[in-house]
Amino acid sequence: MKEQQKTKEIPLYISRSEISTEGNRTGFWRFVRPGYDEKTAPCSRACPAGEDIARIEMLAGRGMYMAAWETILRENPFPAVCGRVCFHPCERACNRQELDGAVSVNRLERFIGDMAIAEAYALPHPFYGDDRESDRRSAVGKRIAIAGSGPAGLSAAYFLTRLGHQCFVFEAEKEPGGVLRWGIPRYRLPEDILKTEISRILDMGVEIFCGQPLTQDFTDRGKGDFDAVFLACGYGQSLSLHIPGEEYAQDGLQFLHSVRSGKETEIQGTALVIGGGNTAIDVARTLIRLGAEVKILYRRRRQDMPAFAHEVGMAAEEGLEIMELLSPLRIQADKEGYVTEVQKMKVSDMQGRDGRCRSVPDEGKRQNLRASHIFTAIGAEAEQPWFLPPKGTGDILELPFCTFRKGERPLLYGGDLTTTVKSAADAIASGKAAAMALDTCFREGYEAIAEKLEQCRIGDGNSLSMEIYLSGERGKRSGQTVSFGEINTDYFSGMQRRQPRILSPEDRAGDFSETEKSFDRETALAEASRCFNCGICNDCDNCRLFCPEVAIFIDGTRCINYDYCKGCGICVEECPRNAMSLEEEKI
Amino acid sequence: MREVLEGSHAVSEAVRLAKVQVMSAYPITPQTHIVEALSEYCADGRMDARFICVESEHSAMAAVIGAASGGVRTFTASSSQGLALMHELLHWASGARLPIVMAEVNRALGPGWNIWMDQSDSLAQRDTGWIQLYCEDGQEVLDTTLLAYRLAESLNLPVMVVLDAFFLSHTYEPVDVPDQESVDAFLPPFVPRICLDTKNPQAISQMAPPPVYMEMRHNIQLAMERVPETFEGIEKEFQGIFGRSYGAVEAVQCEDADIILILAGTAVSTCRHVISELRAKGEKAGLLKLKMFRPFPKKEMRELLGNAKKIAVIDRNFSFGASGIFAQEIRAALYNSDKRPPVFGYITGLGGRDVTPEILEDIYRMTKEKAEPERESVWVGLQHN
Repeated sequence: MKEQQKTKEIPLYISRSEISTEGNRTGFWRFVRPGYDEKTAPCSRACPAGEDIARIEMLAGRGMYMAAWETILRENPFPAVCGRVCFHPCERACNRQELDGAVSVNRLERFIGDMAIAEAYALPHPFYGDDRESDRRSAVGKRIAIAGSGPAGLSAAYFLTRLGHQCFVFEAEKEPGGVLRWGIPRYRLPEDILKTEISRILDMGVEIFCGQPLTQDFTDRGKGDFDAVFLACGYGQSLSLHIPGEEYAQDGLQFLHSVRSGKETEIQGTALVIGGGNTAIDVARTLIRLGAEVKILYRRRRQDMPAFAHEVGMAAEEGLEIMELLSPLRIQADKEGYVTEVQKMKVSDMQGRDGRCRSVPDEGKRQNLRASHIFTAIGAEAEQPWFLPPKGTGDILELPFCTFRKGERPLLYGGDLTTTVKSAADAIASGKAAAMALDTCFREGYEAIAEKLEQCRIGDGNSLSMEIYLSGERGKRSGQTVSFGEINTDYFSGMQRRQPRILSPEDRAGDFSETEKSFDRETALAEASRCFNCGICNDCDNCRLFCPEVAIFIDGTRCINYDYCKGCGICVEECPRNAMSLEEEKI
Repeated sequence: MREVLEGSHAVSEAVRLAKVQVMSAYPITPQTHIVEALSEYCADGRMDARFICVESEHSAMAAVIGAASGGVRTFTASSSQGLALMHELLHWASGARLPIVMAEVNRALGPGWNIWMDQSDSLAQRDTGWIQLYCEDGQEVLDTTLLAYRLAESLNLPVMVVLDAFFLSHTYEPVDVPDQESVDAFLPPFVPRICLDTKNPQAISQMAPPPVYMEMRHNIQLAMERVPETFEGIEKEFQGIFGRSYGAVEAVQCEDADIILILAGTAVSTCRHVISELRAKGEKAGLLKLKMFRPFPKKEMRELLGNAKKIAVIDRNFSFGASGIFAQEIRAALYNSDKRPPVFGYITGLGGRDVTPEILEDIYRMTKEKAEPERESVWVGLQHN
């Protein structure tokens, strides 16, 4: 239909319909159907604690730090701690590394955690749902005993309390925190940060009893008092060198413990640290700070060290000498100190079970190394065999990150005792898994546990989500993990990954001040906005703006009017982060 | 406020003052400075507008067509090959009766590759239904851009503001930049007569079969016929506020002139000087500055040229196989007139070659010496073949 417009008598005869085109339901033409379809971000799948990282960075990128913090708390009670000590597998999974470098997720977590401490954010209550939900939960609450107040024990207490149960934590040491308190040096994790995050858990009503070493009768103790027991007492026993003179070497873990207790304040002379893991590096860097001249003795090559490369690099900057391909044979004492006889090693063609090249003795090549102090840090194990779940009994259920033993009352093993990777994040995951397993057992019975935990997996990974467990929005996401190829990179221009300020090697050598500084607000904002927000809608509105049919509208949330959507798929194509999908129309 | 401005920036300032809402352009020498400044104004908040970056001039025109269809004030700029690439959509803009304003920097088309002054690019678009206004200096560029919005929005026709490459686009001159208040008084916010409304969707620019198509074309012509009168009215208002006006054409000492030189663009300034020199020597020379090329000011031509003995048209363009385009148009304009002085066509200054006072004086002499034009076009200053 055409119309003659005679406004102000301007000749304006054009083609335009007189009636609305709404009668033409172009939706009938559609044979593929676009839809909002949030997916799993690779970072959150890789995070042992299963944090909703894409969403956390989306909120942080908008300066909504409290909301970002609350989102972390849904899956992890230790943002400021993990922001410092986590080995951040999320960053190795980050899709952005294929463009211009992974998002600095770990440092951002620290920034958000520190912001919560500085601004004294209160714990959200209730975490989910409404008050009725929490009342309903506490009505069926049970009493749980937890052995160990490390990251696993405290996380279990945190999540179980949120699920309406009452928790009692028993700790052998005089203060809670486990490895976070006694193992990790202050320059990596300041005491006040840990204390603040633990105090939040105490404020929820968790009771901790310190100075209560674990005895074998613990699991029987208080029968009737407790409805379940969770054992998370960590790897407290260092592995032995099994060489003559090993008694002259000090145990690295115990050394770190005594430094954190304030017992060691100065160490002069030369120190030899045997080992290549994170504890060895912690011992070495602590010794440097106490005044020693430190060398690390490692039987493989530097690149084979299990310690985080970042930590090894920092230690080297501080003056650590790494002596690779050397294996100790015996230690002898004389009046000037100790002499360690070492065997020169060489790399063989054979690969070990862990995929690393094996090192074998380079026959005939030996040397003596002199040192004033010798430390070992070659790994640790459970202090007592009964800390570990028994093998071969029928009432054992192996779950992700923890083991459930059915019995008169449930007994769960977690933390280092059951996790494959011995890290704080895995310990937190273990506490969470134990909490879910117990809660499911109490509510739905033992048989329901395995399937319930399966439903809470993030994507096809091992991590579990408490938000999904509690039927939060996150549960609606597809398990498909977004790959870099599915990101529409036209919408992202190169922006370098931000680095935090780091104390110079000179400034940190004689000092236990924290080595890395937190991001400032501006840097945090810029870094968080680098996140692709893989798989989740961040309201960029591209879908609506690009829709040629104007068939997308906002009614609280974005909706597609299928009466007019022709299924052209432009919205899906223009979604920068794969939060939409096309599916064939069912006829 | 008087500022020393580059010709390109005289356009940018006018667009800023016109409070344009959507701009889209693709960079091309010698136009780039115009949109470069505008993109900065968008970025730093001096303009509350959207600048849509696109991958080609075709898309730039498509983007402003979309925006103008949505009922907002729009701007784009281009030149040479870029304008040629827009060609298809230039027809769309006028056919859909969208009041888009474009700055067109006159530049030669390749090959041979040439970025300099030449009128062939804009004149090749003479049949697209756009109003074309040519400018002589920086002040005229700024003023014409403001006039263009009033004109375009009054008649629902797109307007091309044309300026010479480098001679104007890259030359700094003192320009009076008006204050926002005066511009607002002259150019109120755009109230569209036709615009898309997502709440009441209508089909627009759809199929127009034989029974209606001709009427639509005729309407464009009817609107074009209203341009001279409308432009005069708008200029009067502009004069009242800013004290300047230009006219569709400007006659300089034409009343008693035996020979009248006709040309457009910056060479007009050179010609003003030549005319006064010739007059000082007793020659009865006149100058007609062509500002409006579309619609072609036939009436003015007939009135102003009828009494002259000869007309010399200086074209910095050429229609191959025919002649200079201004000369063609003037011959056509005079053909049905009682008084038809002979029209001498001269081609010069293509591809950025200078049109010097000596060349213009030569053209005057050649015209004076010959009783009748020997050829349709004389190429002045050829050095080879």
